[in-house]
Amino acid sequence: MFGSIFAFEMRRLLTSMSTYIYFFILFIVTFFLALLAGGAFPEANFNFAGEKISANAPIVIDAFFAAINNYIGIIIIVAITGNAVLKDFRSNTYTMIFTTPVSKFDYLFGRFSSSLLVALLILTAPAFGMMAGYATPWVNHEKISAFMLAPYISTYWQTIIPNAIFDGAIFFAVSLIARDIFVIWVSLIVFFIATGVSNSFFGSLEKQTIAALADPMGNFAKRTISKYWSTYEKNHLTYRLTGLFLVNRILWLSMAVIVWITGYSFFSFTSSPRRVFSKKLRLADSSKITFTPVTFNRNVLPNVSRSFTTAANLRSLWGLALNECKTLLRNTYFRIILLFGMLFLFLVSLQIGKLYDTTTFPVTYEVIEYFGGTFQLFIVILTIMFAGELVWRGRDFHMSNILDSLPVPNWVFYISKLSGLMFMQVILLTIIMICGIIVQLFKGYTNFELAVYAQYLFGFRILDLWLLAVVAIFVQTLVNNKFVGYFIVSLFYFWNSTFALIVLKTNLLVFNSDPGVVYSDMNKFGHAAFPYFVYKAYWIAFAICLAALSSMLWARGSELKLKLRFAGTKNKANTPSWLVFVVGVLIFIGCGSFIYYNTNVVNKFRTDFEQEEELAQFEKKFKHFENAPQPKITDVLLNVDLYPNKMGVHATGTYVLKNKSSQPIDSVHIMILSEAKVNEFRFSRQAQLMLNDSQSAYRIYKLAQPLMPGDTMTLAFNTERYKHGFKQNFTGLSTPVYNGTFINSQGFLPAIGYNGRVELSDNNQRKKHGLGYRRTANPITDTAAYNYNVFIHDADFITFEATVSTVPDQVAVAPGYLQREWTENGRRYFHYKMDNKILNFYSFLSARYTVKKEMWNNVPLEIYYQKGHEYNLERMFNGMKKSLNYYSNNFSSYQHKQVRILEFPRYSSFAQSFPNTIPFSEGIGFIADVDDSSKDNVDYPFYVTAHEIAHQWFAHQVIGANVEGSNMLSESLAQYGAIMVLEKEYGEERLRKFLHIEMDKYLTARSNESEKEKPLAYVDDGQGYILYQKGGIIMHALNKYLGEDSMNHAVKRFIDRFAFQGPPYPTTLDFLAALRLSTPDSLQYFITDAFQKITIYDNKVTDVKATKSGDQYNVEMTLETKKFYADTSGKENVVASNDYIEVGVYKNKNTMLRLDKYKLKGGTTKLSVHVNEKPYKVVIDPRMLLIDKKLDDNEMRTDEKDREEKKPAI
Amino acid sequence: MLQISNLSKTYPNGVHALKDVTLNISNGMFGLLGPNGAGKSTLMRTIATLQDADSGSIMFGDIDVFKQKQELRKVLGYLPQEFGVYPKVSAEEMLHYIARLKGIADAKERKELVKALLEQVNLYNHRNKALGGYSGGMKQRFGIAQALIGDPKLIIVDEPTAGLDPAERLRFNNLLSEIGENIIIILSTHIVDDVRELCNDMAIIAGGQVVQRGNPEALVKGLENRIWSKRVRKDEVAQYQKDYKLVIARLAGGSMMVYINSETDPGNGFVSEKATLEDIYFSNIS
Repeated sequence: MFGSIFAFEMRRLLTSMSTYIYFFILFIVTFFLALLAGGAFPEANFNFAGEKISANAPIVIDAFFAAINNYIGIIIIVAITGNAVLKDFRSNTYTMIFTTPVSKFDYLFGRFSSSLLVALLILTAPAFGMMAGYATPWVNHEKISAFMLAPYISTYWQTIIPNAIFDGAIFFAVSLIARDIFVIWVSLIVFFIATGVSNSFFGSLEKQTIAALADPMGNFAKRTISKYWSTYEKNHLTYRLTGLFLVNRILWLSMAVIVWITGYSFFSFTSSPRRVFSKKLRLADSSKITFTPVTFNRNVLPNVSRSFTTAANLRSLWGLALNECKTLLRNTYFRIILLFGMLFLFLVSLQIGKLYDTTTFPVTYEVIEYFGGTFQLFIVILTIMFAGELVWRGRDFHMSNILDSLPVPNWVFYISKLSGLMFMQVILLTIIMICGIIVQLFKGYTNFELAVYAQYLFGFRILDLWLLAVVAIFVQTLVNNKFVGYFIVSLFYFWNSTFALIVLKTNLLVFNSDPGVVYSDMNKFGHAAFPYFVYKAYWIAFAICLAALSSMLWARGSELKLKLRFAGTKNKANTPSWLVFVVGVLIFIGCGSFIYYNTNVVNKFRTDFEQEEELAQFEKKFKHFENAPQPKITDVLLNVDLYPNKMGVHATGTYVLKNKSSQPIDSVHIMILSEAKVNEFRFSRQAQLMLNDSQSAYRIYKLAQPLMPGDTMTLAFNTERYKHGFKQNFTGLSTPVYNGTFINSQGFLPAIGYNGRVELSDNNQRKKHGLGYRRTANPITDTAAYNYNVFIHDADFITFEATVSTVPDQVAVAPGYLQREWTENGRRYFHYKMDNKILNFYSFLSARYTVKKEMWNNVPLEIYYQKGHEYNLERMFNGMKKSLNYYSNNFSSYQHKQVRILEFPRYSSFAQSFPNTIPFSEGIGFIADVDDSSKDNVDYPFYVTAHEIAHQWFAHQVIGANVEGSNMLSESLAQYGAIMVLEKEYGEERLRKFLHIEMDKYLTARSNESEKEKPLAYVDDGQGYILYQKGGIIMHALNKYLGEDSMNHAVKRFIDRFAFQGPPYPTTLDFLAALRLSTPDSLQYFITDAFQKITIYDNKVTDVKATKSGDQYNVEMTLETKKFYADTSGKENVVASNDYIEVGVYKNKNTMLRLDKYKLKGGTTKLSVHVNEKPYKVVIDPRMLLIDKKLDDNEMRTDEKDREEKKPAI
Repeated sequence: MLQISNLSKTYPNGVHALKDVTLNISNGMFGLLGPNGAGKSTLMRTIATLQDADSGSIMFGDIDVFKQKQELRKVLGYLPQEFGVYPKVSAEEMLHYIARLKGIADAKERKELVKALLEQVNLYNHRNKALGGYSGGMKQRFGIAQALIGDPKLIIVDEPTAGLDPAERLRFNNLLSEIGENIIIILSTHIVDDVRELCNDMAIIAGGQVVQRGNPEALVKGLENRIWSKRVRKDEVAQYQKDYKLVIARLAGGSMMVYINSETDPGNGFVSEKATLEDIYFSNIS
């Protein structure tokens, strides 16, 4: 019996056209994805796993294969297995089948297994798509390695099949229980939500094991395996079905079985399902009524007036729309979905704004953005689903026979459905708002900012959703099958939100596009609003056209053939619809032209590829001037007028230029960003403009009289930069903004000489544009480069004076001390002057600030902040004081007479140290909600402050030469300072959490390195993970190994020797020399390992045993240590080692009993120590001094062995 | 006056549903009789603007149905052969909804009308119950109520009594007969009695063509004294079919009664029978 059911079903599915359509679609999507990843479109920069990972590396194949099937394939699984039994109810064949002697198991398992098998066959399509894609001649052969079948097969077995079984079991079981396709779609949503929740929940480091198990799709489990893989491993290894991954697979397959059995036991061969939700009453006409003859008198019917005018139609429309909304609200499933949605929002709310595992205050925009982001998929799925439901409801319930013959024009039907859908979206957004407010309330935050909710959700967000609604309904109008409609809309959404922009490049062609909106408490929606609404007007016009078409093509009666419906649009009755269509087209063209004018005519639009090409052209044209001697700037005098409302800046000023070289200089080269307009350049001696390259904004002035060595001259300039129109993408800080201006000198002021820093640095890109290989930085041995510092090419230390003006209600700030403030011609002026020399690197800020002041040793400390952001001012002041104390006591004295922190809008999330001036993004720190009672929280407002203050020393006192490694001297040393201050303030135990996060970041990032990882001393400036994460860990370790005093003494020695010194600038070699002076011979190896090699350990505790002897406990332990050196390709080789490694014995989770340092040989060592109290665990390298690949095996509890041994007995 | 001229329709699967159908229908109850699959519903749906024909035309007064669907819909009441209902929606609500769609904008008027209709079709007591729970007869009564909204000039009732028990059928036909005289009501059915009871004009349609047309009584009169019956064994039926113009052979107490059409007395044990509409029907569709 099973056999015939199975065979019949297989035959049916395999002869069904849809099976092949599904296969074909999956094939095409992945084929295209493979082409994209394989670089078949050189202009599309699509890098999945880093430059060095080939497009068909096993890990990439796995990711594509799994993702396509997890998101698109799942719809197919729903359509096939979810319908395997349901279709019998839909077509009423169940009456025949249920009355045959077939057994329940044969019937259900036959249906399930055949449908699942067909689904599994369809789900192989992505593999073939990729194989075909990678095999085409269009891909870039450097991105493709040799074909291997194994990764496809292992992904299919390990991921695709188990996932499909699990998905299939769920949807099959739901179909058995509920016998309603709608419930299956609801369960799909619940499924997405559940995975979403587990993903967001288990993101933190401690919960990785749970996350790996909790994710039914196995992605997290796989991530734990490949997280720290080197490039080499990523290119060559496939996931092995071991460890957490294996457990995950077994766990979820068993879940699938349980779910299946649950569904099975729920099912019986009856015509109505066991009701889960409500009882359905069947009403029988009472017999008394049955036999009373009906007398019908038409004359008693009241006379009613009918009208069919447009006004009447509009009123019907209103009624219909209301009815749609009511129907929606009455829908049990919709209510369930809402409940789940709310549950979901509350669950994810715990993660709001996490940085360093520390949350932010639930300020309204954060809540909206976080909820909006995580809820987005949810709303989209519901929109797609309900679009189908609404359009097909009449036909699904056979109501269309009546409704379609009513004297209602199509457009009334159409708009009523559309309104229902839009109403649903409004409800969902309202849910976001309500949940947001509840979450805020629960977190004790009461500044609800209802206006922000209203604007963000119902001003901006809703438009996107409404536009999607129009498209979804349009598609459902065209298709003859609801499911095909779902599939098409999903596919369209997927394409549109992922690849459309990459392929089409201009967002005028990407449906629903906009330049982006960023809300900032400082600048509100600022300059994002206008372009956003212009774009939306453009798309709304497009939607109007679709709406007109939908209304004309509305399926009515039984004439569903699209051809006939198209023919019907020519009917005279459709004239008004065509008129609307034409108006839509006109507005569409109008807005489109306006957008094009702004993005491509007023502003230069360049694709990434074109931008690269420009840089390449620049290099080709001017590279040969790189070594032409140029004067350096020694004094800067500026008048900077900021126009926040016009988003512009106007500057006049004078540079004093000095020939510091030994040769006469006959021409001066000037570079200025092409966005800035030059009104005048005037030299103090006669000069002639020889070359003016407008594209690269490169100018060469020939001096009538050469500037002799040691001579000076001046350059007076008059420049401006305004924002004109808008661009394709929202830009935040490049020009002044309405409130919260932060611009630096490079944006609108001239620089001297060829600036190599702007050259195209990515060597893959360079190749594409016909440039040769370029070192990422000058070699450390390049002594000529010692004449320039790593930040600024055209100056050493300068004197600085600036007058900044702004609108009257704002405060404008530049480095230096305020000399005078006055108002003139309705503008507010501030005159700043610096008393000692600074780097030629400064910024200008202007905003409606509130200022808070404190003092530290006669140094005024000031924070300029947005009113309302008072939360962490104390932490920042504390950070300033503690760090100024530590640095001035241990390194050298603070060179300025003031410290200012200034908030700027969250368009960028960083803080940056300028002389006595530290712009600090509102996105980091100002709204952090640090929980001091939690061991897991990192006080990052404090920490970031300490880091930036440290830059006043490391960068602004000592700065490295323009060679590799020099950034370490500013970033890693600043990180060192901050870590020490953090440790002093919060203790070693709290610091551990921070170091753990940093270790994880380093190891993850090095695994994604696109060029090659360099040792710390030779690090490139783009390698943040080495500069910050590895640098911090190493400097902290060194502090522990050398001792705080000798370490700080070495730093001090280095500062003393090089502070405020012009060329030659120091390099990391100078720093290492200073360090080595303070390092005993026995530890010299550590300096080499830490700075000049890439060293990684794999340390672990393999056995621990504690025995009581008298008052004391004897702890015996077995330790294993392994040291690797990684070469630049990422390959790691084990090396012999005999290194100092600490071992700690703990009396409980967090309190150490003793800490010893041992010299451990690579391999296994047995040790024993005595402690006075009962030991709890032993930890190797508890202070996280060494970079360790796997931290979770670094500790073992003393009772762990016992428990394991006892297990079999239970 | 409804004029159907030369209507033809072929479905994509090749079924020739209507073949050159021409009918002129004037006020009163018009019966459209035909077996399953004869093209009745296709014709009904075509008149009800739910479907287009390949060729031909339908005029209702001045309204060209294919070109002015919206105009026809304004005067149309349609009770389809099959219709479903939305779950959890009551009869009253649904009538309101349809009344609104039929252009009755005034809420008060709508309310009165719905109330009167519910009373007339005897559903007032059940007005708040969900339609999904209605019995077949109640559902059909609801169906006629909705069709009557908006004072239609043309009412199409497609197989309304199929599946109803005899009492319900009677009651429904009763109701139909009261609907009115000054409008056209087209009743399509495969039940001869429906037509006999209700219609003063009829057509028989089979294989997509009109095969008989006229007043039921006149049609029956045409067969007067021509119907003869005889009780035979089952295995004899084939022989009789060969020898006579067989109208129908039907089971009767274990053996068969054969009815034949003959102008003269066929002898051979046949006895004269009173002609019925059923005889007309069967002699036309066989």
